[in-house]
Amino acid sequence: MSSDTITARRPGALLQRRRAEAAGWLFVSPAVLLFLVFVAGPFVFAIALAFLEWDLLTPPEFVGLANFEQLFTDPELPQVLWNTFVFAFASIVTHLVLGLLLALAVNNLISRSIGYFARVAIFFPFLISWAAVSLLWKYVLDPTFGYVGQYAAMLGIELPNFLADPAWALPSIIVIDLWHTVGFTFIIMLAGLQTVPSELVEAARTDGATGRQIFWNVTLPLMSPTLFFATIITFIGAFQIFDPIQIITKGGPQGSTTTIIMYLYEKGFQAFDMGYAAAVALLVFVIIMGVTLLQFIGRRRWVHES
Amino acid sequence: MTTIPQARPMPSDDLLATLEKTGRRKSRRRTPGGVAVDIVLVVFGIVMIAPLVWLIVQSLTVPEFAFASPPSWLPIPFTFENFADVLDYMPFFQQFGNSLLLAAVSTAGALIFSILAAYAFARIDFRGSRLLLVVMLSALMVPAQLVIIPIFIMMRQVGLVDTLASLWLPALINVFQIFFLSQYFKTIPRELDEAARIDGAGHLWILFRMLVPLSAPAIAALAILGFEASWNGYFGPLIFLSSPENMTLPLGLVTLQNGFGAAPAVVVFAAITMVVLPLLIVFLAFQRQIVESVASTGLKG
Repeated sequence: MSSDTITARRPGALLQRRRAEAAGWLFVSPAVLLFLVFVAGPFVFAIALAFLEWDLLTPPEFVGLANFEQLFTDPELPQVLWNTFVFAFASIVTHLVLGLLLALAVNNLISRSIGYFARVAIFFPFLISWAAVSLLWKYVLDPTFGYVGQYAAMLGIELPNFLADPAWALPSIIVIDLWHTVGFTFIIMLAGLQTVPSELVEAARTDGATGRQIFWNVTLPLMSPTLFFATIITFIGAFQIFDPIQIITKGGPQGSTTTIIMYLYEKGFQAFDMGYAAAVALLVFVIIMGVTLLQFIGRRRWVHES
Repeated sequence: MTTIPQARPMPSDDLLATLEKTGRRKSRRRTPGGVAVDIVLVVFGIVMIAPLVWLIVQSLTVPEFAFASPPSWLPIPFTFENFADVLDYMPFFQQFGNSLLLAAVSTAGALIFSILAAYAFARIDFRGSRLLLVVMLSALMVPAQLVIIPIFIMMRQVGLVDTLASLWLPALINVFQIFFLSQYFKTIPRELDEAARIDGAGHLWILFRMLVPLSAPAIAALAILGFEASWNGYFGPLIFLSSPENMTLPLGLVTLQNGFGAAPAVVVFAAITMVVLPLLIVFLAFQRQIVESVASTGLKG
């Protein structure tokens, strides 16, 4: 029973109730005000923008559904969406597999010094800004400046010019993103592994299960809530990839690395076509919501609920 | 960037402590397979840090000898000159200060408003509170890039473009923090509030003298993540800031490399090193807290 139901029986309860109401709204009012100005207001404004043509210099003009028509007939958009989904899919697979393998390896280590070294080496890149990471990798993968190409040349192997080759640019960004972000997935997986009760693993071992059987039949199912969470959060992050692309390739060569947020940036903040950029942003919103919803629907099929 | 709420149970013990404890408890024999895993992890770790070692080595090498083939992993001939040159190409310390100010104001400001709102949602039964929380939470699905367009137009109208205020003002509202903290406050027994109230304590005393100290680990985790996100942010500064003296470090670094009169590669590397090295020291000193804040909130910036 809460304090309010107790006091409600006493005289003067109404006054007290009113006071609680006032206090509640008083405490949330700064947050609500900020929410209206910087979240809800702009959200409504963005929807309205999608029906306008506005370059911020001349007065806005109402154009009805023209921006959405443009969205569905834009010849560049299929390539942009393809790039984005390829990146997101590759990102989910590589991060989850590598993150889980690394977490399993570190979790079973005996040597504490190796554990410390591995944890620092895997996690630290995640804390470095994308700006620094992108600039560094631009040189690492450069055929003349970078050590990757230099070692390959010493071995007589001729590597492609990764960031300038339309076939290799997106895979390169995928590798750079893996280097930068796998530490995050690794930590989430490591935390997830701690939720697997060791008694269950021991019980399976006593029953004669091999390491492989234990992994597939005990550890992995019990890890499924963590895997689910990691899948969703990796998808949302990957779908909005922007920083390394804007810094390293600017969407090129030949549009091979233009992802949807890069496209939105070009339309909104380089071409200043605010209405169309808002329509693209709404598309991003709908796709992310849709895919997340699908994942929650599919959740029942593979996520183990204890 | 977008975050989604996840009401994960806070681990009672921190992750690294648990790891080390289990490590000690394990009485595992050294199998050939175990040794192979050791070797693979060490090699993988070396591959992960190789770009960073290479970065620092080049930044300490005399320009004509940097980026030599075969790659050199020692700074020979050695020089500090590249670091001095950074200051000729960018206002490094000004931008460092901007980043620090922006991160401090965004983090502290957002936390204060989040704590106040979380208290109301967790402890005061006021009409409409549930609906309000649901509306605010649904905003977590809205991508940052959608609202940044109208915010940019707003900031232009009020003349705040190219100021740090255009970045920290929108950062003051953080719905994830409000949700996370109100969930955390709910785990603290309400009887404590009742006892304090009988002793004559008001809402503010209960919140700031009791709930906040009891929630210190959660607040610290949110502070670390908030600071990290703001310190490393690129999209916002790219859109709002244009003069070098107003830029934050990430934007300053990128501008250094592709602006007019772009700096030589060694100078760019020296500047990156000046950003990465302090970060490494902070990370090694506060590794436990940083790893724990990521593990407990599962928040990706």
